[in-house]
Amino acid sequence: MNELILELKEEIIKVLNLEDITPEDIDPKAPLFGAGGLGLDSIDALELIVLLEKRYGIRLASAAEGKTIFTSVENISKYVSENRKR
Amino acid sequence: MATIIADNIISPLGNTTQANYQAVKAGKSALCQYDPELGIKREELGINVPFPFTASLFTQEQINEISIDGYTLFESLAINSIRKALEECQIPINERTCLVISSTKLGGVQGVQRVQGVQEVQGVQRVQSVQEIAHAVGITTTPIIVCNACISGVSALILGTRLIEMQQYDYVIVCGIDVQSTFIISGFQSLKALSETPCRPFDIDRTGLNLGEAAATVILSKDEKAGSWHITNAAIRNDAFHISSPSPKADGCLMAIETAMKGQNATELALVNAHGTATLYNDQMEARGLSRAGLADIPTNALKGYYGHTMGAAGILETIITIHSLDDHTIIGTKGYNELGVSGNINIVKENTPIREVQGVQEVQGVQKVQGVQKTDFLKIISGFGGCNAAIYVSKKGPTPKSSCERRWKTSHSIVITPQKVVLDNEIIVTHEVLPIKEERKEEMLTFLYKTRINNYPKFYKMDALARLGFIATELLLQKERETEGELNRQDRAVIFFNQSSSEHADKVFLSSISDPENFFPSPSAFVYTLPNIVNGEIAIRNNYRGETAFYILPKKDDDIIRMITQATLLDGYHKSIITGWLEYKSESDFLAELTIVIGYRLENKQKTKIKTIVPDDSVVGIR
Repeated sequence: MNELILELKEEIIKVLNLEDITPEDIDPKAPLFGAGGLGLDSIDALELIVLLEKRYGIRLASAAEGKTIFTSVENISKYVSENRKR
Repeated sequence: MATIIADNIISPLGNTTQANYQAVKAGKSALCQYDPELGIKREELGINVPFPFTASLFTQEQINEISIDGYTLFESLAINSIRKALEECQIPINERTCLVISSTKLGGVQGVQRVQGVQEVQGVQRVQSVQEIAHAVGITTTPIIVCNACISGVSALILGTRLIEMQQYDYVIVCGIDVQSTFIISGFQSLKALSETPCRPFDIDRTGLNLGEAAATVILSKDEKAGSWHITNAAIRNDAFHISSPSPKADGCLMAIETAMKGQNATELALVNAHGTATLYNDQMEARGLSRAGLADIPTNALKGYYGHTMGAAGILETIITIHSLDDHTIIGTKGYNELGVSGNINIVKENTPIREVQGVQEVQGVQKVQGVQKTDFLKIISGFGGCNAAIYVSKKGPTPKSSCERRWKTSHSIVITPQKVVLDNEIIVTHEVLPIKEERKEEMLTFLYKTRINNYPKFYKMDALARLGFIATELLLQKERETEGELNRQDRAVIFFNQSSSEHADKVFLSSISDPENFFPSPSAFVYTLPNIVNGEIAIRNNYRGETAFYILPKKDDDIIRMITQATLLDGYHKSIITGWLEYKSESDFLAELTIVIGYRLENKQKTKIKTIVPDDSVVGIR
């Protein structure tokens, strides 16, 4: 689980071009979107949908579905470990 | 003000305006579901995406009919459409006639275009396509390309109108064209913006947009013509909110509408023709804008249910259909619309409706008298990526008196950035010799400038190269401005850029995410930047600029045309200043930003001759 969390943090930093941020900066329980989190926006959410599909073979039907999953790194890792195809 | 003297539409619904209007009036739609399981092969059309979609595309038969030997589908469409519009009016094609092309993708990605319907790789530059078009229809002046996301068509009509108001040209041919491709369809799919089924503008069950292809041409003239339509007022405003989501409060849309409605009477509006893409956010935003502008009661329609979103052609095509429908005393129904799904209680027209030209009958001194206002005018609104919103007021009324003030400008600051050096107000501030070595190579100039001189806007790292270049150049200009003039609120500032290669660099980045069918993962963030005007949006967001934002593509760097369009932008009295200039990014070793801040000022009538003849101030750059 911890390995997956670290992997996700690294992937998120890479695909979202979070240049000034290291994995240690990201609290796995903290919200990713909105104030207080990483300040991600709607295009970042779409990019995370692509990440899930490309890396883990998980296809989300809609952006709305993404909203319920991308609440925190911990929540993404839980969803990925339960649904991953690769 | 400019007069519309001829028009043409070529779409899957027909090759003339009349054929198109009659088809739309009869309720026909060109939207078609492309689904391998339904047996419709889209591969034959040169489009190959691994998902079902709905779009308005030319059939192979139509493509064969439209295609001209030696030209791409994009070029053939434009040439045919312009020729047909020219047949309607006898105008001289000379140095007083200009061609303005509106397109978001200019026929495809660099080197990949559909020819005879099949995707082909060519060695041509996209801007050359426009020169081919200009040459084929006999244009001798430099063609101007408007590449301003979804508002391009209206943006081009606005530029054409201003060029005539400035007496720069007597006639402006405005032609909007876009053809569809794997590139565009997969990009919109990655943004989750597409509906698999025919779109439903403003409806409660709307799920997204459909793409479409078409060419639409309008010829604008300086001369009055009895019974003809005029573009009287126009505005472009930025939301300064987000590069791909509209302002939830409809700020930019509202400002554009208010400017276009200035001096006009809403009771004379027969109709508002909305953008109505049928995405959740766009339609909601437009409803908010109309209701905030006090136009909720005005009958409003959208035409995407007939044509899909024809991108660069949309604003022109929808203006033409609206003109012909009002000439036919009809408001076209909003195909796909059934139940209102936006707030603001706006008045969406569902079915074709005859226009009651007269408001009511009143009894005056015992005699029944027809009272009221003729509803002869309409408002066209449109919004797009990069946060831009446009509105034009189109009317059959004669010319309205305008203020006689002429505006000029002076340059306050200037910057040049190349891979070799940065020159700010004629002083070299950085050269490539100072770039540090990182991982065995010199650090890239733009990243170096960000880290050493800005470093407080991480969004920089998410931007594509063109946006980074524009962002850095503007930041350095504004640092200089703050240094000399202090902190000022510049909400009324416009941002207009020019280049030759459009978004070529970003196109390659996005293309790499879809070029391998085994590894087909179109990147939404890369796709957004394949519109060059996103850089204008980034700058508007960073600085809260609400003025006009626009991106123009020219066959080559041409300072006279840049000055002419900068002057045209100043015709909109809202703009007190403009950030303007050349912004080209081809590669890490080949880019150029050459930007200036220009401050507009008014010349009162009596001063005019004095300044023109006596003061040889070379900072005063007038166009005429």
